[in-house]
This record gives sequence, C-alpha cells and structure tokens, in this order.
Amino acid sequence: MLEIEGLTAGYGGIEVLRDINVRLGDGELVGLLGANNAGKTTMINSLSGTVKPMAGRILFQGEDITRLTPRQRVERGIVQVPEGRLVFPEMSIRENLLLGGINSRARPQRRQQMEKVLELFPRLGERLAQHAGSLSGGEQQMLAIGRGLMADAKVLMLDEPSLGLSPLFVQYIFEIIDKLHADGLTILLVEQNLNLTLRHAQRCYVLERGQVAVEGGADAVRNDPRTKSAYLGL
Amino acid sequence: MTELYQALAQGLLIGSTYGLLALGMGLVYGVSGVVNFSHGDFISLGMFMCLGLYSALSLDPYVSVIITVPVMTAIGALVYLFLIRPMVGHQFLMVVQLTLGLSLVLQNGILMVFGGQPARTPSIVESKLWILGDVVLRVPHVIAFVISFALAIGLYVMLRSTDFGRSIRAVHQNAHAAALMGIDVGRVQVLTFALGIGILALAAALLLPGTPIQPTQGLRYTVITLLVVVLGGMTNFVGIMLGGLIIGIAEAFGTIYLDGAIGLLMPYIIFVAIMLFRPQGLTWRSSK
Ligand SMILES: Nc1ncnc2c1ncn2[C@@H]1O[C@H](COP(=O)(O)OP(=O)(O)OP(=O)(O)O)[C@@H](O)[C@H]1O
Ligand SMILES: [Mg+2]
Repeated sequence: MLEIEGLTAGYGGIEVLRDINVRLGDGELVGLLGANNAGKTTMINSLSGTVKPMAGRILFQGEDITRLTPRQRVERGIVQVPEGRLVFPEMSIRENLLLGGINSRARPQRRQQMEKVLELFPRLGERLAQHAGSLSGGEQQMLAIGRGLMADAKVLMLDEPSLGLSPLFVQYIFEIIDKLHADGLTILLVEQNLNLTLRHAQRCYVLERGQVAVEGGADAVRNDPRTKSAYLGL
Repeated sequence: MTELYQALAQGLLIGSTYGLLALGMGLVYGVSGVVNFSHGDFISLGMFMCLGLYSALSLDPYVSVIITVPVMTAIGALVYLFLIRPMVGHQFLMVVQLTLGLSLVLQNGILMVFGGQPARTPSIVESKLWILGDVVLRVPHVIAFVISFALAIGLYVMLRSTDFGRSIRAVHQNAHAAALMGIDVGRVQVLTFALGIGILALAAALLLPGTPIQPTQGLRYTVITLLVVVLGGMTNFVGIMLGGLIIGIAEAFGTIYLDGAIGLLMPYIIFVAIMLFRPQGLTWRSSK
C-alpha cells in the first residue's frame, strides 16, 4: 500500500535520513522504532509531505506521491497523528474533530464519521464543548487520534502516541490501536518503547542515525544484536 | 455634562472603526506573524481611490466601495504573494522593513497621482447631523459605527462557525498541525491578508466623509491601529474591539477637552498609562 524507496531527507541541506526503504502492506500494523533523534519524526513528516525529500520516492497505492503537497496526501488518506499530539488548544473538542475532517474527501461524511469516532472514544463525547487545551495528556491523545480518524484515513501514522502517558492510558491507547488494526486500517506506529511495540506490531523497522538498521518480525528484531546497539548507540 | 456625553458618543462611534482596522491587522499577525507597517497607507489608498472615483464618475464613497473593496482585496493578495511571502520565515525585522518600504511606495505613489494638497471627497451624508437630546452625532460616524460593528460580528461568526474561519484559527494556533489536517496554510495566509486589506478599503470609505485627506496621513492610521492591536492583545477579538473603543474615546476627549497638540496626544498618553499597569494588554487571557 505504501512504499518508500531510497528516501533521503533532511533540513537545510543536512541529511537526516539516508536511503530509507520501507514497505507497508494493506492492513498491516508496522512499527518504526529508534532512539531519540534517530529520524522517526522526520520520516513520518516526509510521508506527510511537510519535509521535502532530497532523493528517492514514495508510492501510495501505486501512485508516485513524492511531489504532492501535504494537503493532497491527506486527501488520499495518508494521515498523521503528530508527536506531542498538537491538538488545537483554544478550540473545543468538537471543533478539533471537525478540523480533522476538513479535507475535501472526508468533509461530506463528517457528521457520520464523528459519530463513529465518539463511539470509539465516549469520553470525548461527554465533553464536546470543552477546550482541548484543558484536557489531560491521555485525553489529548484520544482527541489527536480521533481527529486523525476524522480524515477518513487509509494509512494512519502515529508518532509516539504513548509519550508522557500513564501506564493505564498507554495500555488503553494500544488497545485502541489494536482495534483499529483489527478493523482493517493500515497503521504505521512510531515508538521508542521497544517491547510494547514488538508486542503489537506485525513487523518492525529499527532506525539508527537515519538509516534502517534492522527489519523483520518481532522475534527477529528482538534477537538482533543491532537492535540493542541502535538503542544504546553503541 | 453634555460635553462628556458628546465626547463619549463621538469616541465610541469612531472607536468602533478603529477596532475594525485593528481586527484586520490582528488576523494577519495571527496567521503569518506579519505586522504590516503599511496598514495605514492602504487606508490612504482606499480613501484616495474613493476620491478618484468621485472625480471621475461622481461616485459617493459609500457607493465606491463596490469597486474599492474587490480591487484592494486583489491588491492585498498580490502584495502578499509577491512581496511578503518570500520574506516570511526570515527575520521579523526584514518583514518590518519590507512593509515600511511599501508604506513609502504607497505614500509617494499617491502623492504622484493626487498631489500633496489636502483634499475632500464629498458625500451626501457628509454634513448631516443626528441630534439626540443634547448630543449631536454626525451621521457618517453613526454609519461607520453600525457597519463596523456589523462587520466585526460577521467576522466573529465567520471565525467561529465556518471551515474557513476554523482554518484561520487552526493556522494561528499550530500551523504544522493545521497542515497535517490538509489545510493549505499558504492559501489561508494569502486569503487572510487579502481579507485584511479588503476590510481597510471599507473602513477607508467609512472614515472618509467630512475628513480632509493627504498622502502623508498613513502613518497616523498605522500607529493608531498598532495601539489598538497591542492594547487588545494582538489576536484577541473582543480585546481588540474594546481597544478600538478606548482609543476612540481617548481621541474624542483629547480634542474636545484639551487644546491643540496635547489634545491630539491623548490616545498615546492613555495607551502608555494602560500599558504601564497592564503590559499584557486589556484582557487577561488570549482567546484565539
Ligand atoms: N525542524 C528541524 N530542523 C532541523 N533539524 C531537525 C528538525 N527536526 C529534527 N531535526 C534533526 O533531525 C534529527 C532527527 O530528528 P527527529 O525528530 O526526526 O528524530 P526522532 O527519531 O523523531 O526523535 P524523538 O524520538 O526524539 O522524537 C535530529 O538530529 C534533529 O535534531
Ligand atoms: Mg520524533
């Protein structure tokens, strides 16, 4: 469904990612692991189009989307739930969700989609008028995911959804991710939390200083010595 | 006592239009981080376009807006696309310099076309008065008040309950997140700037009847607008309208109660006094 071929990207001429090759099959839940500054967010932003690639190409459902704008990618269903959640703090939950479905493909069924999202996160439905900035971290993460689902995502890319959450919330968020996966959604899960991700993802890639160091199923990745070195920076 | 009511009424009426001017500046600042120092010169441009339309076609300024608003909106879009956008993201001071340069270009352009003599643009309501008990209101001021408030309310509703309005607020609150929603941030910035300049065309017509105009007046409007925006808290809608009323009232009190230069300084004195006690502006929390 999504193929990244030889992607090199960075900021202001400095390469952060070098020659990345990553594949996401239809309906797959794929983990993207790596230590701080490995380049996970840069990669996810390259997929969203907010970071421009320096080389390589990105294919989505067979179409070359390398040169498409962020907006065109969202319209095709490539949706990111960003690191740090980035909800719109001075807007209500309802407005945040409406904005999630503002792209031209999702807009016509926005109301029905909102009902589905609120079914998934009843807690959001109870406080639709509350400002997002006044929610707890866990609730903001629910809102960020809900907002992403509003876009009628075909691929949902989650950037460190467990960051800064209490263990209970982390468990809850991962249950939600499993549920979305079970419903057939293709998911790219970016995480630092190795064990948790290996437990949920079907396949994983481990990034080390901008390059794919390890890839494979949970056991292969767990037992590969390069995984440890990628994390410890050895 | 009559004088007091008179000053209050006059100040409120004019202040509403100052609030409207400042809303345009605040919106632009909110989505692009640009403070437009040629703001007042665009007001001049709007006024002189009305003058030109009167000379050529005998159009009343209130009618001329049918032409000046779309034309200035388009000019705003072009100015943003070709002059300001290439600078956004660079140093803040470079953008300031650019808009200051634009101010000089506009001023001198107007000077070349219309000359430096103070001019007036007649309007049918120019000298009409509205007498409420002891208070005498100039009809152009009443019209300015009604339209400014109607427009401010319209803007407010647009920001709250339309997709375009929510996009503007989203870009303001987090441009990166807005882009991830599929909002074309660049487009929102252009349209907001164009909207801000279009509003100035309308405000220009509202301020025009009975006011002598000259090409160098732009800076005064820029400064008044800046006072209002800073007082209101840059991006706070209600704060800005309130700031407009306060500056309007300060100006009216200054001209009615005090003679000459000191009277004209009144808005600045009030501004400094308020900022000394409330450096964060009038409102305690910015509602974005
Ligand atoms: N906007 C930016 N401009 C310049 N350099 C950046 C920018 N964002 C990230 N970088 C650099 O790119 C490298 C990779 O950062 P990135 O955020 O992609 O890592 P990450 O794997 O997501 O890390 P984390 O786990 O901390 O989120 C880092 O060295 C970082 O300093
Ligand atoms: Mg990151």
